Amino acid sequence: MIDKSILHVPLLSPGWKVVGYAFLPLPIILALGLALSGAAIESSNPSQILFGFWAIGFGLLNLCRDKNEDEMIKSFRLQAYQTGFFWLIWGLAALMLISYFGTGGFTSNFLSVFSILFLLNAYIYAAFQYQKYMATKE
Amino acid sequence: MKNTLKVERAKHNLTQQDLAEKVSVSRQTINSIEVGKYVPSTVLSLKISRVFGVGLEEIFELEQGD
Repeated sequence: MIDKSILHVPLLSPGWKVVGYAFLPLPIILALGLALSGAAIESSNPSQILFGFWAIGFGLLNLCRDKNEDEMIKSFRLQAYQTGFFWLIWGLAALMLISYFGTGGFTSNFLSVFSILFLLNAYIYAAFQYQKYMATKE
Repeated sequence: MKNTLKVERAKHNLTQQDLAEKVSVSRQTINSIEVGKYVPSTVLSLKISRVFGVGLEEIFELEQGD
């Protein structure tokens, strides 16, 4: 597997974390700015815009190289992705069930590409940070 | 898996940071290995044993349940 270069994707430089963090409050700042300037705001589904920006933000944070990217951090990253997908699948099933008992259908406005990508990236980020926290807790 | 990393470090008068620099990992990784929170890869284990000039099994030992 070591020679399969197609599987080895580079991580972003740690400087990209700033961009990732900037995406988290950006939709709120953007909405405030548009509201103050009197510009037309797309009001079809504001929560989806919020989820979209947060998905990109957390996605960038997950793809950034850590300051000390050694083998322990790499193993934490792998575990975080596995944990993130695990939580996503069970969370998705729970949301579908809640939606089914609430409205009679398995889909809801909350379930979209944006919300799912946001949840996945947020879970991965949380699992990664938790492992780093546990490792530093002495 | 238990290890005698701390003892070996003390014998060689090395801090966690010193050892971390010698094997190209973070100090946190060395600390996590010492307290048993992280099991190092074969490559890192071999690097550590080379720093101390002893065999792998003199530092790392399997425990019941491993």
